[in-house]
Amino acid sequence: MTTFSIASRDELWVSGALVETRLMHGVATQRGDSIEASDARDERLVRACDSAIDTARATVAALRDARVRVVVRATRENDVEAVETTMTVAVDGVSVVTTPSDALTDYELLHRPRRGAAPLRGAIVWQNGSAAVLLHEAFGHASEHDAAPVAWPSWLSIEAPLVSRRETFRDVPLLRMTHLIARQTDAPFALPDSLIEVQLVAGGGYDPMTDIVTVDVAVSSAGPFTIRRSRAEVAASLAGASGEPIRYPGVICSREGQELYVASHAPVMITDGLL
Amino acid sequence: MTYRKVGRVVRYENGILISVSESGEAFEEDGVFHARPAVEGTAQTRVSVPHSAGADLDSFVAKTQANVAQTLLSVRSGRIERFIASAGTAIHETNGSKWTEESRRVHISLVSPPLRALIDLASFDVEIVTTVADVLARAGGERDAPKRLRLAPNVSAALLPSLIGELAMEQSGGGFDGHGRPIETRAVTHDAPPNWYRPGYAVRPVRAWMNIRALPFGRVDPEVPLAIALLEPVHGTSLRVLCIDGGDVFPATIDASHIAAVSRAEPVWYPYAAGSFGAEMML
Repeated sequence: MTTFSIASRDELWVSGALVETRLMHGVATQRGDSIEASDARDERLVRACDSAIDTARATVAALRDARVRVVVRATRENDVEAVETTMTVAVDGVSVVTTPSDALTDYELLHRPRRGAAPLRGAIVWQNGSAAVLLHEAFGHASEHDAAPVAWPSWLSIEAPLVSRRETFRDVPLLRMTHLIARQTDAPFALPDSLIEVQLVAGGGYDPMTDIVTVDVAVSSAGPFTIRRSRAEVAASLAGASGEPIRYPGVICSREGQELYVASHAPVMITDGLL
Repeated sequence: MTYRKVGRVVRYENGILISVSESGEAFEEDGVFHARPAVEGTAQTRVSVPHSAGADLDSFVAKTQANVAQTLLSVRSGRIERFIASAGTAIHETNGSKWTEESRRVHISLVSPPLRALIDLASFDVEIVTTVADVLARAGGERDAPKRLRLAPNVSAALLPSLIGELAMEQSGGGFDGHGRPIETRAVTHDAPPNWYRPGYAVRPVRAWMNIRALPFGRVDPEVPLAIALLEPVHGTSLRVLCIDGGDVFPATIDASHIAAVSRAEPVWYPYAAGSFGAEMML
């Protein structure tokens, strides 16, 4: 038997004003292939949520021109407690997912110039940890679906552990990534003459039936664009990397309608052949 | 005005059976939408759906398990990628109205690489699942859209919300909306809908045409090829569908912005948008 308890506070702020607020709590008990769930209230978890969202609200006040969704989840699964705060910050239709401690830094990213006009050709340099999103789809989700192996470069190692996770007490737990950290060891790193720099990614997807990876780039030196390639093509395109993993500001991962935060880190990486 | 909902839902989801009981309330105050579990009483007393409804759900669980087993056995071609069946009973209360609602939902995705057929139903229909599975297994390569094409009710229902204001249709009266107002039969137009759709208590209600149905006209030619299933979610009036033309089965992408005829047969309700009735149509 396993027991999962949760309380969450979810607030939407637009230009510094609160417009939506939600409290949710419940417990799910699983025996074999059967789950019994109700909205029972766990005071300890609700208090943990209230405390964490007070901290987040203090940060929201500084993000005056943004649309900010703050979600605090306090969970207990088989006696292990955790509190997680995520902030999805959007300005002019482009968003990052961050935490209260990184919110101001990531907010600045959204105010950098966005109008890329470079021709959409050549190699891609994935700045700012954004390669983590490409690998989230091509490696992480493929692992969740037990996809056949493809040939990744020998200089690349990817840590993306799968554990049983669920968004709410109403959901069936699934094997999901907790985080993804890509690292390089002695990778080549030669910047080509023709390149596009990617700063922020809007979203992505992996289709287990076709093995196709999709990544929607939001901010780059070529403006927004979409990549649709097979997983093998993505793996073969990895041409180099440099430095330590950089925290990418956020991936809210949606699968089977369940949205979960996945911390994502990758070094600056080069791909060639995706355009 | 506070909206309250008390309910129970049982759901079969890819091998797991989950039963959820909850009660919640929502209200607007100074322009802020608030949603939370109902504050009165304990969880046990708050969640009290009628006894008969609970018995119905228990019976649904048993029936669902039998239907799932039958479906899994009957789909010999291809593979069931996703299989979700649910049944719920809820009591809603707001604005002086109180009503009980029962819901049934079935979602199945069938794959026969590189194709995926999507089936969404408001009742368990093993026959349509096995039919689509068998047809999917015979699919050949992509073809251009046929000049004339019939849309099966399960396909036309998914399209209908994209044709609001473009095709003569009406909102079917009956029941209450998310603000507790009666849903009346009305002509569907480009104007703001009179009713509000609230898919869950924690979701801010939005204006929507509810339970829409196309008004019959013209004649549907039964000899014309048939789009029997969706292969992707609908994007506007662009549909990717699985077509049958005589003995041939093929995927095609079609523009369904111009409807030439709508069948007079009794339409069937499908869980698309705020409710959509599917009837055979012809492009």
